[in-house]
Amino acid sequence: MPSTMDTSIQIEGVTKRFGSFAAVDNVSASIARGEVFSLLGPSGCGKTTLLRMIAGFEQPDEGRILLDGEDITDLPPNRRKVNTIFQNYALFPHMTVRDNIGYGLKVAGRAGAEIRSEVDRMLDLIQMGDHAGKKPSQISGGQKQRVAIARALINKPRVLLLDEPLAALDLKLRQRMLIELDNIHDEVGITFLYVTHDQGEAMSLSDTIAVMNKGKIEQTGRPEQIYEAPRSSFVAAFIGDTNFFEGKVTAVLDDEYSRMTIEDLGEVLVFNDKRIQVGSPVHLSLRPEKFRISRESPPENGRTNRLEGVVEDIVYLGSHTRYWVNVKDYRIAVTQQHGRFLLDEKPVAWNDRVFVWWHADDGFMLEQYREDDEELLTSPGE
Amino acid sequence: MKRSRIPLYTTLVCLLFFYLPIIILIVNSFNKSRFGSVWGGFSLRWYQKLMENRDVWFALKNTAIIAVSATIVSMVLGTLAAFALHRYRSRLQNAHYTLVYTPLVVPDILMGMSLLLLFVQVKVQLSLFTIFLAHVTFCISYVAMVVLARLQDFDFSVVEAARDLGASTRQVVTGVLLPLLAPGILAGGLLAFTLSIDDFVITFFVAGPGSTTLPIQIYSMIKHGSPPVINALSTILLAVTFVMVWLSQRLTEEKTTS
Amino acid sequence: MADRTSERKQEWLISAPSMVWLTVLFLAPTLLVFAISFRPSTPFGGVGEGWTLQTIRELANPNYPAIIWRTVWLSLATTVICLGLAVPCAYFMARARARWKPVLLMLVIIPFWTNFLIRIFAWKVLLHPEGLVKKLLLAVGLVEPRDILMYNENAVLLVLVYSYLSFAILPIYAAAEKFDFSLLEAAMDLGATRLRAFLQVFLPGISRGLITAALVVFIPALGSYVIPDLMGGPSGEMIGNKIAQRVFVDRNLPHASALAAVLTLAVVVPMVAVIFLQRQKKPARAKEAGG
Repeated sequence: MPSTMDTSIQIEGVTKRFGSFAAVDNVSASIARGEVFSLLGPSGCGKTTLLRMIAGFEQPDEGRILLDGEDITDLPPNRRKVNTIFQNYALFPHMTVRDNIGYGLKVAGRAGAEIRSEVDRMLDLIQMGDHAGKKPSQISGGQKQRVAIARALINKPRVLLLDEPLAALDLKLRQRMLIELDNIHDEVGITFLYVTHDQGEAMSLSDTIAVMNKGKIEQTGRPEQIYEAPRSSFVAAFIGDTNFFEGKVTAVLDDEYSRMTIEDLGEVLVFNDKRIQVGSPVHLSLRPEKFRISRESPPENGRTNRLEGVVEDIVYLGSHTRYWVNVKDYRIAVTQQHGRFLLDEKPVAWNDRVFVWWHADDGFMLEQYREDDEELLTSPGE
Repeated sequence: MKRSRIPLYTTLVCLLFFYLPIIILIVNSFNKSRFGSVWGGFSLRWYQKLMENRDVWFALKNTAIIAVSATIVSMVLGTLAAFALHRYRSRLQNAHYTLVYTPLVVPDILMGMSLLLLFVQVKVQLSLFTIFLAHVTFCISYVAMVVLARLQDFDFSVVEAARDLGASTRQVVTGVLLPLLAPGILAGGLLAFTLSIDDFVITFFVAGPGSTTLPIQIYSMIKHGSPPVINALSTILLAVTFVMVWLSQRLTEEKTTS
Repeated sequence: MADRTSERKQEWLISAPSMVWLTVLFLAPTLLVFAISFRPSTPFGGVGEGWTLQTIRELANPNYPAIIWRTVWLSLATTVICLGLAVPCAYFMARARARWKPVLLMLVIIPFWTNFLIRIFAWKVLLHPEGLVKKLLLAVGLVEPRDILMYNENAVLLVLVYSYLSFAILPIYAAAEKFDFSLLEAAMDLGATRLRAFLQVFLPGISRGLITAALVVFIPALGSYVIPDLMGGPSGEMIGNKIAQRVFVDRNLPHASALAAVLTLAVVVPMVAVIFLQRQKKPARAKEAGG
């Protein structure tokens, strides 16, 4: 967690166009000192362009970028106190691991003995002391990654920029490196700006996540805010998976709850996530794991909603199972963890008539809805 | 980060350097005036003079005979060499590779000189035939290198697929390998053809009386002839070159689209 | 085992045609050059019987050191200038938009394919006393009306650069195309200036292309004959001219052979070294890509 909450990087109304296409469109953000800040979004959303502008590889067409309060918009990359971890690591192939790590100090004109001892310290940190004399082509992907980190950190940057640093690694290694990155962050305590398209990485590493789409930041917040309280259909659908329902408010019961009607499905109880009136249109996002599924009717409870349908598809995924339940032509995605109880009762099978139910608090009202975003939802295999 | 403009300017200067002399030459081939620095109006008279020059036609015929025959023979030998070099890793192939690669970098004058000595020693009369032998010798290496480069990019799983479907070695070669490698082999052949048409130095050493080729004819025209006629001849050759480059680019493009 | 011997037989079968041809018409004649250097010449332009060191001794002729020196320095200067121009060009071409790359490549390839004699002739016309360059330089006041632009070392150097520049650009471009330009960003990110990144990261990254380019410019330049013949005059002669003179003018084949032998040694020794280095690097690279 960040110790002091002052600003490390301030992005003010930054726009970058390539031809007539705005890769980054009037983006503002503020990154606190010492935090891990993630830019999360699909490829082409502008997150890498934004990172490259902070690194100094691209020049914004409009707006300013401030580092610790100082305007760095026009500084060339070699004069910015930020360092970058590149997606493909960009290790110099003709230099040894040692020379790669020491490059920044050498360029800065530091003495040979000092460089040697600093590099040794870094080699210790990344546990690569035995590989100091090797060339990048002789070490593994995970090791390259660590060398890239050491090469950046040795310069004591104020901010470390990480551009999809784990994308080139396989799953297991990715998970291990994620923990290592977390440990390194705890150790050095500097600001990390982490660019990724992988929500899992962003969730597990970040203090703050900014979700980007089409050159704009859609929502900024803590990981749990982004997941549990998505502002838009894009955020809801891009992070994790969800079901969308569209309806109209029929009654506002009190400060907390209202009733809304969804076409064909009837009336359901909803939590007031925003200010609503009778008659307002509402878009509800319901994550698959918020549902329960069973063949028997659920116990009655004033706060739950219940639907009845037929199981259309079942996909066993190890830690959980995903069901697609057809309720009056709505295909509802439901996931269920495997608990012990499954051993006792007869499991839900294909074509079974089932009940799905959820607590009114678990649905979330979106502020912004675009139909296109439904494309992002997981569809059942044909 | 602003990009340096030095590369752009250098490239522009180089392109100007490449093309200015050529463009002036082309313009002058249509210049009525005999003197290059004065524009005397548009004229095709130098082309007409060229057409009337029987030596040029004779040299062109010799050049065509040699280029066609040397191209065919070197395509066969060069393609075989490339297959061997790609397929096997052995001492023999190391020697083979050196033997194929070295002629690419040996200066022309050395090759011409050594072939002349060989022909003198074994008492072969210098003629079109000796030129043909010399041209095949330097073309083999170029064809082999072009085809070898193609083989290195080649996806050999199609050969395995053909084998899996029951094709014999012979059927694999004629039905799968050759058709797929045809653009590469043709590109090598085209290069050989151009090199053969263009070669002056080696040909000059091994040419006998009556075996004048086009470059030898051009050389003697540069030394003794009338510049505007050479301009006209050069312009025609440039047009041919342009078509050749375009063709060979088409052949290499097929690789990326398929 | 039977399989292996038939495999071996097949290897010989498809290697033989090119190997035999090149042994008889390339390797043997090259060795012959060395042998004939030790033969006496006959007054009738032939090669005599017996062995002699006479020809080799004649190479000590005081004319030769000057010509050899001129050959080497002109070739070196050509190589340096060509590489100096080719590196920025190749860099520009490699970074150009995908749409422009084939166009630029084509523009470089066309001179490469254009007849050598025509390109020399074009310069002969330009540098002619009545030519455009002379008139331009006169107008600017850089030359006197009596100055002659042709038939000297500078004219030879100019046309050598003109002839071999595309030879230098193509291999360097091929290397630059494969270069990972994010390495330059990485270097600048770590504090290097643009120039420093270029020198310490880009040039080492395209070293193979640079070596090839240097080789394909320097070696043919050493053996130049037509360019000094047409552009140089007596004050621009190179070894190639001497070899040709011995063959066509004096008809002294052993003497020509001795000169050719010297040139061959100068060319072949460094070249074979480079070939072996490159050939040995290849399997290692393939392994790396596979693993």
